[in-house]
Amino acid sequence: MAAPRSCALWSYCGRRWSRLMRCCELPGLRSSWPGGPLGARQLSQEKQATETHFGFETVSEEEKGGKVYHVFESVAKKYDVMNDMMSLGIHRIWKDLLLWKMRPFPGTQLLDVAGGTGDIAFRFLNYVRAQHKGKQKRQLRAQQNLSWEEIAKKYQNEEDPLGGSQVVVCDINKEMLKIGKQKAHARGYKAGLAWVLGDAEELPFDDDKFDVYTIAFGIRNVTHIDQALQEAHRVLKPGGRFLCLEFSQVNNPLISRLYDLYSFQVIPVLGEVIAGDWKSYQYLVESIRQFPPQEEFKEMIEDAGFEKVTYESLTSGIVAIHSGFKL
Amino acid sequence: MATLLRAALRPLRPPPGHRGPAAGKWRRREGGLGRPAPLTAALFFFFSFFLSFFFFFLPVDVLLRGARHGAGQLYPEHIPTSLLQKVLLAAGSAGMALYDPYRHDMVAVLGETTGLHALKVLRDQMKRDPEGAQILQERPRILLSTLDLDKLHSLPEGSLGQEYLRFLDVNRVSPDTRAPTRFVDDEELAYVIQRYREVHDMLHTLLGMPTNMLGEIVVKWFEAVQTGLPMCILGALFGPIRLHTQGLQVLVSELIPWAVQNGRRAPCVFNLYYERRWEQPLRALREELGITDPPMLVRALA
Repeated sequence: MAAPRSCALWSYCGRRWSRLMRCCELPGLRSSWPGGPLGARQLSQEKQATETHFGFETVSEEEKGGKVYHVFESVAKKYDVMNDMMSLGIHRIWKDLLLWKMRPFPGTQLLDVAGGTGDIAFRFLNYVRAQHKGKQKRQLRAQQNLSWEEIAKKYQNEEDPLGGSQVVVCDINKEMLKIGKQKAHARGYKAGLAWVLGDAEELPFDDDKFDVYTIAFGIRNVTHIDQALQEAHRVLKPGGRFLCLEFSQVNNPLISRLYDLYSFQVIPVLGEVIAGDWKSYQYLVESIRQFPPQEEFKEMIEDAGFEKVTYESLTSGIVAIHSGFKL
Repeated sequence: MATLLRAALRPLRPPPGHRGPAAGKWRRREGGLGRPAPLTAALFFFFSFFLSFFFFFLPVDVLLRGARHGAGQLYPEHIPTSLLQKVLLAAGSAGMALYDPYRHDMVAVLGETTGLHALKVLRDQMKRDPEGAQILQERPRILLSTLDLDKLHSLPEGSLGQEYLRFLDVNRVSPDTRAPTRFVDDEELAYVIQRYREVHDMLHTLLGMPTNMLGEIVVKWFEAVQTGLPMCILGALFGPIRLHTQGLQVLVSELIPWAVQNGRRAPCVFNLYYERRWEQPLRALREELGITDPPMLVRALA
């Protein structure tokens, strides 16, 4: 896999360079981009290949994974509370919209990567259960001449309220999985749910296993996004769908300014007051700025082999849902 | 169509049959003063955020300055913050400190964000006194790593060192649990507030107050009179909200007048180089500062 990997790395470096030229707020890096003849530029790109961004800092790629792990380890306990506070509860609507776009039916196998506290998984289970109940009711209504004993038997024989659907929640962080399991236990989710510790860049699953792959607010924390996309392509069945819910670029300039003001002034303060952790939330808002915009991310998904890639911006571009199919 | 709509709406509601004792964030917890619901705390915070929008008669540039270009790190652990962030931090930390008194870091943040003027006054006071100026120059720290515990143990009974160690043991506290300064935008003032926090334990020893709610409020009154830090004043005024009426009575009738008297009579306690006075008997030090013995009642708690 050496050739495609180095290609992906090369194009990743190229994109990062163009992104750097756009946002000039990285003083530390400006001096290392002379922008001279092509030869000099390529050389410096190669040297920077082992470095990446951690928010607005520059760190080596090995370091980034550890630092991100540390961030999520410390925010895990207050993760859900902070999500509600920061987005004023709107994140629930975004996640609901992701599920409505997915439209799972009983029998769907879902892999939710970076799904630590289980928000997407629980919504999926609710949705599928509701669908299954609706299907049952329709079936009963269609068979109008059943006797009471047959109807009772039909309900008693029902073993799987999910109709064969399963969701696997995969996360690299033990703390987030722990909180997710506690939530599942508290809310009574048992059937059809599995928790797996794994790295999005190297998923511990076989090829062609899942119908839908989702990653909600996780992919911007991955060190090598292209590798994560390739893994997503690998584990999906042919005909499977890739869905990504992630913060993106705001298209309206006025809202963009308000959003920047809110992100940089209010969110770290919220993090300090509620969770006692300024730096993690500073990282969060900086990492949102470092993530590629909608079109660029769409191209990255296409590069990984997905087809019919589309995106939908929500809340004027604060988040976007990207969707692609493995055909 | 109706089933589709119902199915679509269902994810927004919790699944039926989930009525266990662990569920329901509206259930009030038993015991003590009930905490206000998280909703109230959130409303408090967002109210102050929107209130700060009335600061818009100040140019936005002034509000946001300090967090963008130029303001670098002045000391390790320093986080440069803009005026707006300081306002929000002050409001948020004040609310959170009242909501959850165990969040000592919130009290610290409140002190850092609101204390700029008072810290300057305190620093100037220290500069004028010879011992205080020495402290500012040498910047000693009271930490477990800098304290010579063996030497302190070997000191005679009744000396400052012994009493300080006894205070740490009895109340089960350690000098290392103080959070570092983060939001003060001046390196010397950051040291001054750090010194204030480390001397806080010394004040407990000097005044003979334990680290329970009552003792802390008494020390806060003393500090408020001595330093004029807004955090001390707010803590002194609002801390008693969380006390029961019996403690409140004792506080108002005896302890506060005693603390205020002593605070006004004593010279600035931050001018004392405590690290050089471990051998000094506590009684002598109290006489030097003009601190009378605490009223009998609180001594029984210590």
